[in-house]
This record gives sequence, C-alpha cells and structure tokens, in this order.
Amino acid sequence: MVTRQPGDRTLPTLISLLVIGVLLMTFDIRSEGGGVTGVLRSGVQTIVAPLQKGAAFVSNPVVDVVETLANLASLRELNRALQAENAAIRAELVASRDDLALLEFYERFYELEATGSDLGRTPAQVIGQPDAFDAALIIDKGSSSGIVVGQPVIDPSGYVVGSVQRVTPVSATVVPITVGPSGVAVAVGNQTGTVVAQVNTQLMRLTLDNAKGPVFAEDRVVTSSGSVRFPAGYPVGVISADAAPSGDSLTADVVPYAQADTLRLVIVLAWPPDPISAVTPDTTTTTSSTTTTVPGDGSSTSTTAGGDG
Amino acid sequence: MRLRPVIFVSVFLLVAIVLQTTLFSQTEPFTPDLVMLVVILLCLTKNRPEGLLGVAFLAGLAVDLLGSSVLGLRAIVFTAVAYLAIRTKDRADIGRIITGLWAGLMTLSGVVLLIIVGTLFGQIVLLGDGVVERLFLVPLTNVLFALVFAPIFVRLIDRDATAFRYV
Repeated sequence: MVTRQPGDRTLPTLISLLVIGVLLMTFDIRSEGGGVTGVLRSGVQTIVAPLQKGAAFVSNPVVDVVETLANLASLRELNRALQAENAAIRAELVASRDDLALLEFYERFYELEATGSDLGRTPAQVIGQPDAFDAALIIDKGSSSGIVVGQPVIDPSGYVVGSVQRVTPVSATVVPITVGPSGVAVAVGNQTGTVVAQVNTQLMRLTLDNAKGPVFAEDRVVTSSGSVRFPAGYPVGVISADAAPSGDSLTADVVPYAQADTLRLVIVLAWPPDPISAVTPDTTTTTSSTTTTVPGDGSSTSTTAGGDG
Repeated sequence: MRLRPVIFVSVFLLVAIVLQTTLFSQTEPFTPDLVMLVVILLCLTKNRPEGLLGVAFLAGLAVDLLGSSVLGLRAIVFTAVAYLAIRTKDRADIGRIITGLWAGLMTLSGVVLLIIVGTLFGQIVLLGDGVVERLFLVPLTNVLFALVFAPIFVRLIDRDATAFRYV
C-alpha cells in the first residue's frame, strides 16, 4: 500500500515531530494554558484577529443573504407564530405590571436595593470558530475592552452561553457550556445541582444530589447563587422530560436555551464585580487565576475563575 | 523549499486559516477542514517530504494556537496525515475524481485521529453536538473542494502547467 524509498528521512522526521507534539500537549496541559504557550497563543491570535474581523465583515452579510433566501418560506411561518406568541406575552406583561408596581412599592417602603442588575456588560461580535470540531467562539473584544479570563458570557436574550477561556488584547475565546469540561451550578425551583455537557448531543445532563422532589418537562434551569462562574438567576435551559429522584439523586436532560453555533453577538459580563468574592469555597473542581494589565493607565486587575461542578 | 513556494504556501495557509475560522464556520453542516486540505494537497507537489511534514506540523500548530483545545493536538494529527499522504500520493495522480476521493480519505483519517487523540487527552470540547455527522461531512466537503482546486493548487505551487492534467 505505502511506498518508501531507501535512505529517505521522512520517518525519522515524522517521529521527531510527533514526539515534539506530544511534549507540547503535555506541557500545555501541565501549564493550564499559561506560561510560554499562553504567550504564543496570545501572539498568534493578536496577529490573526484583525484578518478574521475583516473576513467576518465581508462574509457575514453574504451568509445572511444566502440563509435568508434559503429559509424564506419557513421564515414567513415562523413570523406568524412569533406574532401570536408576542401577543400572548404582551397580555402576560400587562397582567404582571400590577405585581411590579407592588414590588417597587415594597422595595421603597423597606429601602431595599436591587443587586446583580448593575453588572458591566461588554457586547462583542462573534467573528468565527476555530474549526468544525472545535465549538469555541472567537469574539472581537479582548483585554483592551476590559475582558478577562473566566468572565461569563450570555447571548442578547440573557441566556447563558459559556465563559471566556483565553484573552488577547483584541480578541477572546469563549467556550460554550454545551461543550466545556466544567459543569455549571444551577437551580431548578428550590433544588440545586449541576449541569454538565454530554458527548455528541446538544442536551446537557442535570444532576441534583439532594433531590427533594421530581422535576418536570419545561421547568426552567437557572444559574444558582452557589456558582463561582456565573451570577445567579441567568437562564440555562429547560428540563426535556419529567424525572423523579432515585434515592437522594436525580438526573435529567436539559435543553439549553442558547445555540452557540448560530450566535453572532454575545455579551460578556463583568462578573464577579468583586474578584475576591470569587474565591469563596464552592463545589469547585478547578480554579485558575489571571492577571490582566489594562493598557492606557497601566493598572492591573486580577480575577479567579473556576469550574462549578 | 525555495523562497517562492515558501511564500505561496504561507499565503495559502493563512488564507485557509482565516476562511476556516470565519466564513466556513457558518456553513454547517457542510464545513470543510481547509487547513488540513491544504496540507494534504501540498503532499501532491514536488517539495521535499521532510519539509512538507514540517509545514504540516506548523499549520496544525497555528490552528491549535487559535482554538480552545490543547496545543499540539492538530500539529500531531496534520503531521501524521501528511506522512500518510506522502506515502500514498502515487495513487492519487490517476484522475480528478481519484484525487478528490484520496483527499477525502486522508481527511477522514485525520478527523478520526483528531477525535481519538483528542479524547485520549481529555478534549471534550471536540466531542460536541453532531460529532459523528461531522466525521463524515468534513471529509465529504473536502472531497468536493479537492475535486475543484487540487490541480490548480499543485500547478501553482510547482509552477508546472502540465501537472495533474490527467492525460
């Protein structure tokens, strides 16, 4: 099947390069993406990011036109369905205004201050993905826009997308929760647990360790206050089917709200507002610290990111 | 390699990386692996095999540096694919369709190796939704690209207008 000339040095070259590759992999895993490999990544991404932005600027409108033409018929039907849904939601909104007014009255009465709504938000455009097998998103904002490793990322509807894995001055890499190795601490009703990504499916696996009762299809899964990676209350997805506890634990599939591979725009949250709060002990399995120098004023910010589950 | 092929190859790889990470990230499910395809088609040229392995390694390293998976994964995969391509390229120069199928087969071996080595090194980010479909659709898309571009690519790199005329 294969041909080989006597005296050629292809095989020794192959073996040498494979050994170098394995050493690089080991070194990268051991250094957790930092050190020399981190500097290398940052340098290459800084060089390529402007080209990617230019290519995205040209290709995005073309892809949009093609997609629109291809989906014209289904878009009409979708439009009608969305109009009906919009009318129903407007009716619910009117009904909830009385409750909102009452809530505001009580907040003023008891001098309560809302928390969590004043998070800094950095909108960023998705300029690409590394390749067909790497579901990470490359965004056009980086450390020069205040983005640091570990910050949570949501979509324009407020649904959880993932978190920032790497940052360069002009771009960042976001790993979606649907493929990321770390779980997310979540709450379903008054029960708390963890959702983790699964292989070869968009569905995520929810595990409640101290399950008090069943969960039902369409129950909302939101980030819990026990999470060190995400602020509490952000929607993650819905339960796909009813599930009952088995002993103390319960497992169920979760359909995530955010479809990372179709996103064009994401929002990076400046969270935690106080980086010291992120080191509070949690159900953390891994943590990593990053120090970012903000150009211009020369100041330094530190943050700690960790896996939830 | 002489200077001209080095410049050509560098430009081709840079264009392939930029197109791969931008335009072709939006054409699912038919997403080619352009960088791997460039590496495979380079093996059809008259450049030295050792140099081609080095180029494959650097191309894989560049994709690794832009992605979220471990550094060196694609460098290993692209190098192994290039070696396989170098050893079997004599069978590709028969006809346009055979060249395309050969490129697809090389891509298939590459993506299978990527998944295997990636899984061994705990890269769950590679095993997301639709990984099985992609195992076949990526090589299939590369077949189509190779059918169209392989002869032109080899003639450009080798500066040989008679290459891959399939007479």
